[in-house]
Amino acid sequence: MKRRSLVLMSVMMVVATLALAGCGGGDKLVVGTSADYEPFEFIDEDGGYTGFDIELMEEIAARLDVELEWQDIAFDGLIGSLQSGKIDAIIAAMSATPDREEQVDFTKPYFIGADAIITADGSGLTINVNEDMAGLKVGVQSGTIQEEWVDENIDAEVSRYERAEQAIMDLKAGRIEVVAMDYYAATSFLDQGGLALALKTEFSGEHMAVAVQEGNTELRDEIDAVIAELQAEGFVEELALKYLSGD
Amino acid sequence: MSSAVWRALPYLANGIGYTVLITIVALAIGFLTGTPIALARVYGRRWLQGLAASYVVVLRGFPSLVVLFIAYYALAGAINLPPFLAGCAALGICSSAYQAEIFRGAIQSVEPGQMMAARALGMKRVQAIISIILPQALRNAIPGWSNEAAVVVKDSSLVYAVGLAELMRRAQQINATLHEPLLIFGVTGVLYFLLTFATNRLLSWVERRTAIPDMVVAR
Repeated sequence: MKRRSLVLMSVMMVVATLALAGCGGGDKLVVGTSADYEPFEFIDEDGGYTGFDIELMEEIAARLDVELEWQDIAFDGLIGSLQSGKIDAIIAAMSATPDREEQVDFTKPYFIGADAIITADGSGLTINVNEDMAGLKVGVQSGTIQEEWVDENIDAEVSRYERAEQAIMDLKAGRIEVVAMDYYAATSFLDQGGLALALKTEFSGEHMAVAVQEGNTELRDEIDAVIAELQAEGFVEELALKYLSGD
Repeated sequence: MSSAVWRALPYLANGIGYTVLITIVALAIGFLTGTPIALARVYGRRWLQGLAASYVVVLRGFPSLVVLFIAYYALAGAINLPPFLAGCAALGICSSAYQAEIFRGAIQSVEPGQMMAARALGMKRVQAIISIILPQALRNAIPGWSNEAAVVVKDSSLVYAVGLAELMRRAQQINATLHEPLLIFGVTGVLYFLLTFATNRLLSWVERRTAIPDMVVAR
């Protein structure tokens, strides 16, 4: 038994050492995203990352001639991961807001998005302006600009979710009355049925940009240059047509 | 079952590799840390006993997710662990507190007369612990330990929170696209069940294989 437990212990140690050795870093760009936000970032049938942001970032990395490594992190953990140096950049349909600007640096926007207010089908709710959500049970994804807008502008009973899809599930289950979220992400949920687009709107202007660590102007400028190039070539527009054409 | 879900199954199932690896490494860390702590609690000097007891009390009071976030975010300035290692370390440290208690109970269940007999034969205390007490105690610990192993299998799902695409995170990703929560999380639940079931069957096999003949329960 003594020998056997020694063998067992050594095997365990070898496993731990192998695990440690397996994560030596090379010279690459580690980019964080939250791959649960169709059509910006999601997984395809083979489990690969795909979407508007993913293809855009792959093109940026190719033009910068760096190896791209994806790191999938929950949306509200992305900025913390960037600040603590776990990742070099974020692309996750993230808007450059003043609050976030204090924590990270943003490139120039690569896409101007829109927002949506969603209700359950046949809810009878009429929403003509954003403020009509006041007094309702509102669902938002935590850490998003929609959450910020709701908190700052209306008095409502707010439910916060780690992922947009959880808010939609609760909307369908009747626990909340409306969901405020990104318009393009909403269209992929609307396609499933059972939901209605109450209002296509704009909360505070979704200026989607790539985030880098505060003070990393070198990387920011490099990415800025490529984004400008891709916009001039019409590449970004093509991507928008391919992924965001629910319009 | 819709065909899209069928096609997503291989991706989901591949997450099992991470789940199993995290579990094994976390259990190993918990074992290697928990055993000395249990020994310190039973045989250590008074201050060492106190220290070991505090370790157990404090860590058992911390949710695993809190320990994970500390390991991943808070310590990043000092040691920048990737998600996999942060997950293994956090779950391993949490598990060490529980394993320490399992082993303490198992060590104390070995009759005190065994130690006296070993010492009377001329063995040193350390020698008696390693050759006489521990081999019996570890056998006694297997049923309790297999409980802890099942808990760690399921706790490994927490590591999704720092971005490791293990079983749980993959289920969420697939559900975010296919919107079939009942089906996808149902399948995921069955996969976790199979893992814990296999773990417990393996450990009861170990228990039978290592049982000392004529010594059904050591007490």
